[in-house]
Amino acid sequence: MTHSTSRLKLALLSATLACGVALAPLSAAVAASEAVFVFPNSHNGAPTLNPVKTTLDTLAHELIYDRLIEQDADQTYHPHLAESWESSPDGMLWTFKLRQGVTFHDGEPFNAKTIAWWIPKFAGTDNDYLVAAVDKVEIVDDYTVRFVMKHPDANLLYNLASGFMGVPSPKAYEAAGDTYGVTVAVGTGPYKLDHFTTGVETLLIRNEDYKWGSELAANRGKAHIEKLLLREIVDEAASYLELKTGGVDMVVDVPNALLSQYKSVKDVETKALPSYGIFYMPINTSAEPFTDLKVRKATALAVNQEEIVSRLYRGVGKPAHTFLISSLPESKINPQFEIRHDLRQANQLLDEAGWKKGPNGIREKDGKPLTVKLWTQGDTEFKRMTEVIQAQLKAIGMNGEIGVFDVSSIRDQYKKNQHQLAVRSYGWNNADILDWFLSAERQGYPNVSMWKDPKGEELRKAALTGSKTTEERIANFKIYHEYVLSQYPVVPIYEPDRTLAYNKTRLTVPEKIRGPKFTAASIIDTKVND
Amino acid sequence: MSLSLKTQGAATLRLLGKPFGGIGGAICGAGLGLFIFVALFAPLLAPYAYDAQDLARIGLPPSAENWFGTDEFGRDVLSRVIYGARISLSVGLTAVALSASAGILIGALCGYFGGRFDRITMAAIDLTWCFPEILLALVLVAILGPGLNSTVIAIAVAYLAQFTRLTRTQVRALKGETFVEVSRCLGAGHAHILLRHLLPNALAPVIVVAMLTTGDAILLEATLGFFGMGAQPPTPSWGAMMSSGSAQLFNAPWVVIIPGLFVALSVIFINVYGDAILAALDVKNRIRRA
Repeated sequence: MTHSTSRLKLALLSATLACGVALAPLSAAVAASEAVFVFPNSHNGAPTLNPVKTTLDTLAHELIYDRLIEQDADQTYHPHLAESWESSPDGMLWTFKLRQGVTFHDGEPFNAKTIAWWIPKFAGTDNDYLVAAVDKVEIVDDYTVRFVMKHPDANLLYNLASGFMGVPSPKAYEAAGDTYGVTVAVGTGPYKLDHFTTGVETLLIRNEDYKWGSELAANRGKAHIEKLLLREIVDEAASYLELKTGGVDMVVDVPNALLSQYKSVKDVETKALPSYGIFYMPINTSAEPFTDLKVRKATALAVNQEEIVSRLYRGVGKPAHTFLISSLPESKINPQFEIRHDLRQANQLLDEAGWKKGPNGIREKDGKPLTVKLWTQGDTEFKRMTEVIQAQLKAIGMNGEIGVFDVSSIRDQYKKNQHQLAVRSYGWNNADILDWFLSAERQGYPNVSMWKDPKGEELRKAALTGSKTTEERIANFKIYHEYVLSQYPVVPIYEPDRTLAYNKTRLTVPEKIRGPKFTAASIIDTKVND
Repeated sequence: MSLSLKTQGAATLRLLGKPFGGIGGAICGAGLGLFIFVALFAPLLAPYAYDAQDLARIGLPPSAENWFGTDEFGRDVLSRVIYGARISLSVGLTAVALSASAGILIGALCGYFGGRFDRITMAAIDLTWCFPEILLALVLVAILGPGLNSTVIAIAVAYLAQFTRLTRTQVRALKGETFVEVSRCLGAGHAHILLRHLLPNALAPVIVVAMLTTGDAILLEATLGFFGMGAQPPTPSWGAMMSSGSAQLFNAPWVVIIPGLFVALSVIFINVYGDAILAALDVKNRIRRA
């Protein structure tokens, strides 16, 4: 009895070990072709993967859809679904030769008809400005289209390269109706959508038929990583711990405040990316006391950008004194319009506006204290910066009451127009971001500043639609940018350096990151190590 | 000699601790007293203003200048912990007082009158037991908006059911007793019976539970603070301090560990002292000892 029990135990043990040995390489192989990335925090909370209607372009959009054109880090344009293009001398006709042999994830072909169907879909959406200059799309042949313009648009190529201009499958789009982008998302990109939960995760599966990668990628065929899980983690410290403990393989956008911690982890490699955005404070120009230009200016001058960069971020990143990233020519404005810290002038302006210092240091006017709502989203970096801004505002006698909102709900909160100040950020490398955040046509969100200024509107339209050449566009946007800053609807704070962090024992990331950010071209080239 | 001194010392400690329910109770009672003292006199005791940022002194370790170090904004952690005691204790005590008062009132009425009023009210109250306390509190704060007042209300509602149930059970058990019947026969009204006869006899266990619940309430406040739903910046609550310092866990662990330690200590003090008082005041035990 004892012997037979022992033999049974031995047999079971042997079988278990044998199974373990047999399965070990299999599980390693499965794991080897999968990777988990953490979304950049600015991508969190996107409610839809419909590129036509979304107001938030994410890494998932850029992997599911391809664009006609790709932009490189040096702002040059490269072919993708469009193999070539040419413009008439007056800028009123654009002809695009399309790539042949491209199919959508649902098997539908990509051709000229797709483009003729796709461009008009933008009408009436938040993104219609991208193709507002296009009067109509003519089909020249199966793989050639011509854009007939209402007016020249010096920004057309940039728009076509933006993440919002990923081309969806007409058949899937029409079939899904309003649910497109929520239950289904079909493009021609290197990854297919498996599932997506707002604020949680997006699971993407490799497109096995992909063989039309852009020239920004070394690998023009299917991606190396078979299964890609994109997680949304609001707490940046949690992202750090996940990477450190192997829960994720890459954090796409590392907050500068935690950079030194990431660099201290043995298996973690960091890689610098081009600067791509600004932290800023919109001022609600429709809410008291910020209807008064003097109060807005005082508030702006209270923000000490240099202190934030040198102390809070220990010199990583740049202070922002204009609303545009420093690599854009439109950011090189007359220095007199740059917003720079000046505590003495800020206090003087509030005195002039009738706000006098009360006994507790908080200013008062007509018996009402200068207490304002200061909103931000729940991410660690936003909360941190908002607390510093709160302390800097206190120095001019303004009491900022912080309100923290969930990232997926804060945009709807702005639309209710109950905010006064907010700490926000954007990621964009074109001057038309001024139009996006300050157009009187988009009040609430994205125009969180609720700015509605006749002269501003005139200059905005001139910059956006009245420029025939790139040089003219730059000049017009500079004038608009200067006027915006002179009215203080926004306070630029900080231009962060962007950094990617990944587990180098798990992943091999291309040496040179092509494109203005870490996106499809680089992910196609990223390999999971054996 | 030394043994004798030790024995004498232990005996003295036991003697001193006796009114507080033993040595453990005495130590925890003293600790709790110290926390209350610190909370009451925070402005006098804190070496710096709790919201005074100094970005040149971010994440400094404990030193003679800053006993508990500085946080991620260069603020003095000691000063924030001292002010945090005020928030944590006052929220905990206020929420439990509110919850117990409402629970006693509703429970007494339900237990005394019974019938349909009792069934409907208790069904509604019992609904709150369908959810974990933290979930219920989070939902309430989300509805009311983050802040200290919302936190107090949320915690009070989260613990309402237990006080209501307890009081109702006590009142139901007592209302059939002879002394209540006698009082009723002598013409006493409902209010007189409830206030003079039932509640004084029903309250003892409720008060003990209230004391023990205060520790839980402080923990719940810290949890809500950690989720950013409690005291809003720059007001320091221990939970919020742990939350905002969590990003610095590996660079400046004291920013997280120290407030966490104070949360743990306050809960231990309250629970041990509560238990000790319960044991010390227990009439049955006294009789048995006698």
